[in-house]
Amino acid sequence: MAHAGIKTVILLSFVLAVGFLLIILSCALWANWLPLLVALTFVLAPLPNAVFASCGGDEFSAEYEGSGRIDLGRFITAIVVVSGFALPLVLAHSEIIHPGACAMSIVGGSLVYGTILAYSAAFKQEDSEFD
Amino acid sequence: MSLPRSNYDPRRVCLNPFPNLNLGKHRRTMGIYLAGGLFALGNWIFLDAAILSAHAHSPYGEPQIPPPVHVTFVDWVPGICSLLGMLIISLIDKDRVRGEEGFGDSRAVWQARLLLFIGFALMAGGLAGSATVLALKYVLPDYTEQFTYYGYANVVQNVALMLSAVVLWFSQSTSSEYEYHLSI
Repeated sequence: MAHAGIKTVILLSFVLAVGFLLIILSCALWANWLPLLVALTFVLAPLPNAVFASCGGDEFSAEYEGSGRIDLGRFITAIVVVSGFALPLVLAHSEIIHPGACAMSIVGGSLVYGTILAYSAAFKQEDSEFD
Repeated sequence: MSLPRSNYDPRRVCLNPFPNLNLGKHRRTMGIYLAGGLFALGNWIFLDAAILSAHAHSPYGEPQIPPPVHVTFVDWVPGICSLLGMLIISLIDKDRVRGEEGFGDSRAVWQARLLLFIGFALMAGGLAGSATVLALKYVLPDYTEQFTYYGYANVVQNVALMLSAVVLWFSQSTSSEYEYHLSI
């Protein structure tokens, strides 16, 4: 988008880098690489919506058909996002990873996912201008 | 003294009307995200118990005694039942169950209702089974809180799965409800 400009992109990329840094630090500081799964989960989180969005057809047919495929995509997205938050908590609860690593990976993961959300929202606005 | 009657609705039942949650077209989306979140939350709580059991410590204060109880396959059965029930409920065509006259044959409606019944029976069976496991395996033998947590996690999982199925059902039938109002 034209007005948001290059500053938004730079800011988002910085936030993304900080998120990944936190996740990798949470692994490296305690020499336990299980929290890296959190990064994988949050990177995969927008994938179901992206895959199923093209299956749904246009808005009018989706309205009447019930758009089960889009619903499935959203359901899987919610599952993946909650899994991303739950995984480090579960690992910390059973003392496989350090609580500090848990907190760092959750913060890092939410930064990564927030970046993805903000980025896709910025792009969606650009799309709707042409509609 | 008199209350304002500007938004008086003669169809209302309660003295204080329910807050009109008008999320509009996003209601379906929000409901489905909520259902997915509940689904994942329930399953993760149970997985937490399972992982905790696999890495279990001895009871507090007695380091030489091994943990007396573990999460075994019995604990997984109620969750699997609930999962199957949720799958069956989600797979049913919701227009079939309502069974309008002159729409489709009655045999299909009957089959859909039977399937729906089986699905809900599986979910209720899962819930009851989790309560049974909690009572028989964890509460009656008088384990400490550290171990009864496995049973409570199982119950929470099944409750969350049931809530998820209900939320999914309602949020998916909102659009047909809209058509229903239109037809009246």
